Amino acid sequence: MPTNWADEVDGVEAPQTFTDANGITTHIEFRINDDGKKVKITRRTRNKLIHDKVNKAVAARKKWPKFGKERGNKPGPDPATTNVGDNIKLKLSSTGQVVQDVDEKHEAMKAQLQNKKILCRICKGDHFTTKCPYKDSLGMEDAAATLTPAEEPAAEEQQSGSKYIAPHMRAGASSGGSGSAGPDSREKRDEQPTLRVTNLSEDVTEADVSELFKRFGHISRVFLARDRETGACKGFAFVSFTMREDALRALEAIDGRGYDNLILRVEWAKSSA
Amino acid sequence: MRPILLQGHERSLTQIKYNREGDLLFSVSKDHVVNAWFSHNGERLGTYEGHVGAIWTVDVNSSSTLLISGSADNTAKLWDVSNGKCLKSWEFNTAVRCVQFSEDDKLVLIVTEPRMGYPATLQIFNVENSTTETVSSEPIYDFHPEGPKITVAAWGALNRYIVAGRENGSVALIDPKSGEYISTNKVHELTLTDLQMSADRTYFITASKDKSAKVLETESLEVLKTYTTDTPLNSAAIMPKHQEFVVVGGGQEAMDVTTTSSRQGKFECRFWHKVLEEEVGRVRGHFGPINTIAIHPDGRSFASGGEDGYVRVHHFDDDFFTFKFQI
Repeated sequence: MPTNWADEVDGVEAPQTFTDANGITTHIEFRINDDGKKVKITRRTRNKLIHDKVNKAVAARKKWPKFGKERGNKPGPDPATTNVGDNIKLKLSSTGQVVQDVDEKHEAMKAQLQNKKILCRICKGDHFTTKCPYKDSLGMEDAAATLTPAEEPAAEEQQSGSKYIAPHMRAGASSGGSGSAGPDSREKRDEQPTLRVTNLSEDVTEADVSELFKRFGHISRVFLARDRETGACKGFAFVSFTMREDALRALEAIDGRGYDNLILRVEWAKSSA
Repeated sequence: MRPILLQGHERSLTQIKYNREGDLLFSVSKDHVVNAWFSHNGERLGTYEGHVGAIWTVDVNSSSTLLISGSADNTAKLWDVSNGKCLKSWEFNTAVRCVQFSEDDKLVLIVTEPRMGYPATLQIFNVENSTTETVSSEPIYDFHPEGPKITVAAWGALNRYIVAGRENGSVALIDPKSGEYISTNKVHELTLTDLQMSADRTYFITASKDKSAKVLETESLEVLKTYTTDTPLNSAAIMPKHQEFVVVGGGQEAMDVTTTSSRQGKFECRFWHKVLEEEVGRVRGHFGPINTIAIHPDGRSFASGGEDGYVRVHHFDDDFFTFKFQI
């Protein structure tokens, strides 16, 4: 519909409303938005009046004034309490085999694992090291010598809900050379499994990041990159876990997951060496 | 279908109930709040305020004039449905676990927990004239049932029996006049979490933490059907119309979820064919275990309440009603 420049108010055309043959009402209006750009807003509505025969009592109840926390509220659902969720398909099937939506990442992970042979480091069985039934007996061998057996009993504790683990018991604990504590422990800390999280939103804080990641295991350090002047988050952070398995689980779970309207990316941090 | 999300609770849901016509849905939660909603569009009608402890159970009478709620604050309260006023508050020695109106709305059964030396009780109160006279504080019957703790209870048809589900997985039939056990039957391995009657109360469905749900006949307590799932069940309901289905729901405990690969919204209500004992479908969406399921009396919609504090009301699409199970 050609608009008449003579009808313009404030430099934009006048709003129009028209109904077409299908009963759809179209309302077009123009506005200058916050960036100073002219926007055209089109609203198409179909109004349908449905007559429903209900029980007299039901109709009477519909007229009751609201009470309790809803006292004084207008009729109609309040968006604070009532929202419509995403469309779900209830697929009814007779096969007994219930079809579920496939989580691609989960399936990809499973497929990857199917190709690799899972070998337990303790007993060489067909299961993950942390799930080894002989963890306690065979796994406890040489706690000081290598990293691996030290992880097993510690991993056991990790799984029961990330209890605090003393520094000398953690992965990366330098058992022999703890005399040269300063530079040594700092280096050891950097060798710990660290993830780089990118595409964080501006107002994310260290607390948010540690809140998000701490459920996977004990975190030894969170570093959030901040802008020098404004103090806002620069969009990335480094999270150091005590246990490598926790870091791996965190990576799988958070990578690609939404957080504050942005999709996060999680990778292993490239060490500066 | 697009579920309607009702966000009226800050803590996990414990029970939801439809009224007889199904236009109202009542929800109670551990956050001390009783909410009333219009089930058609999810609009909240109001709240009933007064409890100071987690509310475990709720029921409404068939004329939708009275509401009863039982709470961990050792009280059960009777409310006027239309305006939220508390008509009566019964005090007990321990938390109230289960409340239910009888079919004729004249009686309510109230089950309390055993705690700190106080025994479990099953009390029956007369609420016949509660709108015109004050309700009595004294029960008509006050039974102290022995044996395993009663977790769920319901009236049988014509008030002939009270069916009770117990902590050790057994169901018991109790005589409402004497409080004596008429019969018991051990049907589950672990505690019963829910017990819902069929429309005519001649049979009922039980849900248990042993990952199964069973349909039993009221009078004989005979097991008619069994549905075995892979997750501990917290609730089960029977579809009253249109399809011969039962709906069950539950979920792993919150602790276990963090160590498995948790995907958002993966807790499901499962639909099983009631007679053929086959699973026919699932509806997912809850962010935590499903604690309570209720089906609209006209069979065209259902609602589920979860550990996540949400109530999700689902109105079935047309293809739900045309589905035929192919043998």
